[in-house]
Amino acid sequence: MEGIVLALFVCLLLVLLTKYLSVPAIPFYILAGVLLGSAGLGLVTSDEISRFLSGLGLIFLLFFMGLGLKPERIAANRSAVLTSGFIDLNVNMIIGFVGAYLLGFSVSESLIVASAFYISSTAMAITSLIENRKLMLREAETVIWLMVFEDLVLIIFLALISAGDQNLIIFLIKILGVLAVLYALAHYGKEFLISILDRDDELPIIFTFVAVLTTASVSMYLGIPETMMVIALGVAFATTDPDAFEQHARPFKDVFLVVFFVFFGATIDFSGGVNWFMITIICLLAIISKLISGVLTGIFIHGSALSGLEIWGNTIGRGEFSIAIAVLYGSPLIGTTIAAMVIVTSIIGSFTAKYSTSLRRGITHLGRKKSPSHRVHPGR
Amino acid sequence: MSLRSLNLPGLGTKYEFETDKGDTVAIFFTKTGTIQMYTLQKGCKTPSAAEMTMVEARRLGNILTGAIIEADQESVEIAFSALADLRVTIHSFLIPKGISGKTIEDLQIRAKTGATVIAVCRHDRNIINPPPAFVFETGDAALVIGESDQIRMFEREIMVD
Repeated sequence: MEGIVLALFVCLLLVLLTKYLSVPAIPFYILAGVLLGSAGLGLVTSDEISRFLSGLGLIFLLFFMGLGLKPERIAANRSAVLTSGFIDLNVNMIIGFVGAYLLGFSVSESLIVASAFYISSTAMAITSLIENRKLMLREAETVIWLMVFEDLVLIIFLALISAGDQNLIIFLIKILGVLAVLYALAHYGKEFLISILDRDDELPIIFTFVAVLTTASVSMYLGIPETMMVIALGVAFATTDPDAFEQHARPFKDVFLVVFFVFFGATIDFSGGVNWFMITIICLLAIISKLISGVLTGIFIHGSALSGLEIWGNTIGRGEFSIAIAVLYGSPLIGTTIAAMVIVTSIIGSFTAKYSTSLRRGITHLGRKKSPSHRVHPGR
Repeated sequence: MSLRSLNLPGLGTKYEFETDKGDTVAIFFTKTGTIQMYTLQKGCKTPSAAEMTMVEARRLGNILTGAIIEADQESVEIAFSALADLRVTIHSFLIPKGISGKTIEDLQIRAKTGATVIAVCRHDRNIINPPPAFVFETGDAALVIGESDQIRMFEREIMVD
């Protein structure tokens, strides 16, 4: 218990520091965990309570993600979402998978590494767009839809990987059953849900907490992935009053997610040796493959490789979802690798997001200098 | 001028319009509660941005609608384009010594000016829809609603007493 308090106190200081420097906080939470945990000073150790709180952090993160997914909006922007999404998915999944496989991971391990490798941090991308005042750039919209697509892929991934050795038909029936219940609840109980959310006593916040926890425990009891079901709960509730649910779920998400990141760091164990070579290669690949997918997206969507550079700059950072995959399905070795990748890419990503516009201008400028006779297309 | 609004998942709402002269203005209401305004001059590639709090944005909005803003007196004009471009102005006035002790009925505000007192703020408490027998005190702030002519009349006829 003292461990959690100590860890949270350190994180409080880190929040102040990272906000002041305007860099993402996630890598620092993990580093704090590593320093305080079993790989470092050994002051913070994972126990029953910390595991429970970390679990809450994860399900609230996913519930929150579900609240943001509005199927009808995705359908309205189908072509933009699909083109960039498929480029991003294919390029990064393939490079991540082949890279991990060549570095000696088994096929199933490589698939997990590749998924964590593929999925960028939505929180970091959106924060960097806002903080660096990039919302008006046409690439900003592409980045936002990319994040939505990645979230959708994560849902499918969670379903596929948890199906594992179960009877697929029974598994699907169970999932569809719970989905139908959630949908019916949101559809026929809409008035009731909104009347609960409108109250200004403690009921809305308790209701939100209980709804998320109930969905998670019922899913666990039925043997279907609770991660996927809390996302579905979020999607279902998003049809009523998503802003109110976000407001009530945010305190839980913010606090427990910090516990989740710190204890992920604390459980990292270097006793099996650290393969620095492997970590370096994965980190380099993680940056290069997003560059390739970014430039391809830039060319296909905006007709400009330089636009791709902007997309790259804002999507390098891997974060919360990569760690979620590592915690849910990774071995200690995968955990260490993904942790290192998250730390490196998120720190580099915060710089590329800040300086991508200058980088772009520099390249345009350089191009002009090199070939004075060749006129660069205006407006591109 | 064509206004375009867009909901961006995880981010907030975007409003964008192009002026007749080809400049672009975009406003983002982000989920973090701040408001960012971008302006992009025609032919220019990099927009300039300003980040505002809710209160600052509201002030800017009042300035843009053409309302008069002074340190302690503020006015807002609302235009309803669907109602034959109906324009209503709401203006706040600090009650001077001259009319303290008089009631709304005594002052014949409605008959003389056509404007209506809809609220009075006294010692940080708000009295909404004060009755005709309501007695003004020095230091009250009155919120008056009417057309801009009626508000001007109110300022000339009532506030000098």
